[in-house]
Amino acid sequence: MKDILRISVPLTVWLAAFSAVYGLEGLVCSHRWAEAGLSLAAGRGILLAAWALAVALQTMLLLVLRSPRFASPSGFARSVSLTLAGVALVATAWTLLPVAATSLCL
Amino acid sequence: MNALRRHRALTRIWASDPGWKGWFTTVNHTDLGRMFLFVAVFFFVIGGILAMLIRAQLATPRSAFVGPDIYNQIFTMHGTIMMFLFAIPLFEGLAVYLLPKILGTRDLAFPRLTAYGFWCYVFGGSLLIVSLLAGIAPDSGWFMYPPLSSRIASPGINTDFWLLGITFVEISAICASVEITVTVLRYRAPGMSLPRMPIFAWYALVTAVMILTGFPPLILGSILLELERAFGMPFFQVEHGGDSLLWQHLFWLFGHPEVYIIFLPAAGVVSMILPVMARTTLLGYGWIVAAAVTLGVLSFGLWVHHMFTTGIPHMGLAFFSAASTLVAVPTGVQIFAWIGTIWKGSPQLKLPMMWILAFFATFVIGGLTGVMVAVVPFDWQVHDTHFIVAHLHYVLVGGFVFPMLAALYYWMPHATGRKRFFKLGETAFWLISIGFHVTFLAVHWVGLLGQRRRIHTYDEGQGWEVINLVASVGGFVTAVGFALVIVDVALNAAVAIRGSRDPWQAGTLEWAMPTPPPAYNFASLPLIESRNPLYDDPDLPVCLVRGEGYLGDPSRGRRETLTLEVASGKPAYVVIFPTNTALPILMAFVTGGIFVGMLLKLYWLVPLAALGVAAIVVRWVWSLGSKRDEGPLEVGRGLTLPLASEAADPPGWWGSLFLLLANATLFGSLLFGYAFLWTVAPNWPPPNYLEPGLVGPALVLGGTALSMAGIRLARWKLRCGGGPWLGLLLSVVGAVGTGMAAGTLLLRTSFDAHAYSATIWVIGGYVLFHAGLVGGMITFLTLRAAAGYVAGRRVGEARIVQLWIDYTAAVALLGLGVAWLPGVLT
Ligand code: HEM
Ligand SMILES: [Cu+2]
Repeated sequence: MKDILRISVPLTVWLAAFSAVYGLEGLVCSHRWAEAGLSLAAGRGILLAAWALAVALQTMLLLVLRSPRFASPSGFARSVSLTLAGVALVATAWTLLPVAATSLCL
Repeated sequence: MNALRRHRALTRIWASDPGWKGWFTTVNHTDLGRMFLFVAVFFFVIGGILAMLIRAQLATPRSAFVGPDIYNQIFTMHGTIMMFLFAIPLFEGLAVYLLPKILGTRDLAFPRLTAYGFWCYVFGGSLLIVSLLAGIAPDSGWFMYPPLSSRIASPGINTDFWLLGITFVEISAICASVEITVTVLRYRAPGMSLPRMPIFAWYALVTAVMILTGFPPLILGSILLELERAFGMPFFQVEHGGDSLLWQHLFWLFGHPEVYIIFLPAAGVVSMILPVMARTTLLGYGWIVAAAVTLGVLSFGLWVHHMFTTGIPHMGLAFFSAASTLVAVPTGVQIFAWIGTIWKGSPQLKLPMMWILAFFATFVIGGLTGVMVAVVPFDWQVHDTHFIVAHLHYVLVGGFVFPMLAALYYWMPHATGRKRFFKLGETAFWLISIGFHVTFLAVHWVGLLGQRRRIHTYDEGQGWEVINLVASVGGFVTAVGFALVIVDVALNAAVAIRGSRDPWQAGTLEWAMPTPPPAYNFASLPLIESRNPLYDDPDLPVCLVRGEGYLGDPSRGRRETLTLEVASGKPAYVVIFPTNTALPILMAFVTGGIFVGMLLKLYWLVPLAALGVAAIVVRWVWSLGSKRDEGPLEVGRGLTLPLASEAADPPGWWGSLFLLLANATLFGSLLFGYAFLWTVAPNWPPPNYLEPGLVGPALVLGGTALSMAGIRLARWKLRCGGGPWLGLLLSVVGAVGTGMAAGTLLLRTSFDAHAYSATIWVIGGYVLFHAGLVGGMITFLTLRAAAGYVAGRRVGEARIVQLWIDYTAAVALLGLGVAWLPGVLT
């Protein structure tokens, strides 16, 4: 069961981060954001911070899964989990790139 | 004991009832797998006939073949049948038939659940077919967008058939997935560690977990839309605080994973068959596992690409465009691993291989059009045109139907024990693959020329006539090909000559048993040391028949199999399976009362049927377990293992765990819907928010704490050999408190005033339902303890109940918390 977790956690964290940032963007662009007296620039800043945080989290997961304490004893599970942690890192960097690259609420 | 006597003894123990009665009482996975496959093919034929009607209508401009009303029903039912009644059940059938055999075990984890799921599928599917025959079939497209499917635009019963029928059928998908997940994780031959699993098992595992997390959003959406239609709870009506886009989110949150739920099993089949056809082993096993998991998870982050034209801000679109292009990478990894496998081996062009090549060509094209429509500006041009229709048929037919035909021809000798003699299949291959491409290349083209999907007719002079005619001709050629396949299979199953046990010289375990397979699969269970046991030891089948593996001694006279520790493959405990019973079909029938009651607005029937289901469940579960500890059992080869009922984590605990995963996804989707409406629905805030007061919060805090503490006290007492009564009492009182807290929500809001209060009702109802459920479970546990089933080492049931209590406490605190939150903040 632990090996199943090692294999499934990194991408699940990607999914959570991805959905959270999408939700956050929805919030920033909704009337609630303006009503709370916040600017769009602040929204962009928060989104960028969320992106950076997600990337940092994935990097940490990758390192943790390599560390002797948490790495799987089975060679197969170790290589699959590390591959997937790498994939999750790339996926986080790539799929959330739009927070820096596109218009916010157009 | 010699092989023949062992065979006779095991058959006596495992066989289904003889004669027609056996159909209704069987719990055997081989039988049920075949029944699933047969029914799925039956629905495929109906869906195919509808497809022919569509192509007949579109063949010429201004066609008077059918009018718009009928046409709407035809294309809606075509899509619905193919997705829900054909593709998913076909995967379930394949997995039900195959998994225990390739994993080297004797049945799936919960045999009666397999049967229950099957009958729910049959009854739910029949409901939809009845509507089709009566001319009142659903007609708002297979994705049922409101407001088109709302009561105002669709006042008839048509949409209700869809919402209720499909939800009924989805029970079977959820049952099958719980089953598959637990089976793959725990029911394998000794020694089969994770990396030694046949690759299809990985795909089935990923697919099953995807069903558990992908179907609940749609189930929730269907419940909400049905509540709106039946009782006027306005979740999707903008003027009352709802939002029709919420449906699109919920639908595609299911819908996109769904397309991968369909594709992944097919990829699993290809990964099983291709190496055998190429006379080699699979290249890059670990990479393929990684790719399958990646696809499974990534596909949950793509749903908005079906909503590119709904006015979502560009940044939102860009997230999903980026994620959509990314999925091409793991798909590519698999394709390259397959090409490498062919490269490394010496491929032989037998019929299954021909279908795999057809799959490659077709699926790659479909994947490429997929990347095209993943690019937002391109999609804005082609959305809702026939280009999309062509894309989805390339990936679904190329990526699912073709591999399934490969599977059909590959495993047919296994199921029938016969050698293919009549060679209609080759002719059918050419008819289908040429016919398909003629049809759908043309459909791409006419889509680019601007033909919208779901139009019942079109005018001359737009340059569409010839293309549509060509597409229709191709369609009929394809249909003739499929008819030929069915004839071919029927002939070969009925009259061909007997074949050898392992006709393809494959290395996986399903070929280590006699064919057609006996009811017990393996006379004794093998010890696994590699991924292709038959290549290591060609004599394995003989040793197994001689009873030299595990559990080869049938003298205990009951249906026994082994489970493993998840990762290492070390044997863990012995499971005793239930015997033949009509309870599953009965329970599916009574479950149908809930849906029929809603459909016909006979609301009194709904609680009555629910009570009936509860009664049957009690009867069902009561028959498990035993009143005394048996201690460790001899399982052969010098190994002794405890019984599952004396283990801390019996199969039921694992089943509950994955059922709760699906349940938690449903609840999560509900909270998502609430948050979505709160942020973007135009007519918010509602006239007033619910104030928590003091009683509700006190009840829920006290209730959840009490029930959680109570069950722990009971378990502690059981461990020390004492009576669990006080703990169980506290725990039931706690459940009542939790239920009352949820009740305050219902009492203090009106369900149809605003989407906000309707949502509060659903949250309250959800928590109330769970409080009632665990209340019932605790009562049941009390009776079990009183009857002597829960004592000594047999305390697994208490742990199962604890799992449900903890879950209920979590959803109660979270659900009621967010329900009260806006009231606290304003
Ligand atoms: C590279 C992989 C893929 C990408 C990037 C992709 C992308 C897309 C996009 C963007 C759409 C929406 C187009 C629109 O409605 O305007 C779409 C529709 C669709 N795709 Fe794919 N797709 C891929 C693979 C698949 C696979 C493997 C399947 C099924 C096995 C599939 C089945 C469908 C279906 C059923 C629809 C249409 C749903 C409907 O509108 O009724 N796709 N695809
Ligand atoms: Cu999609």
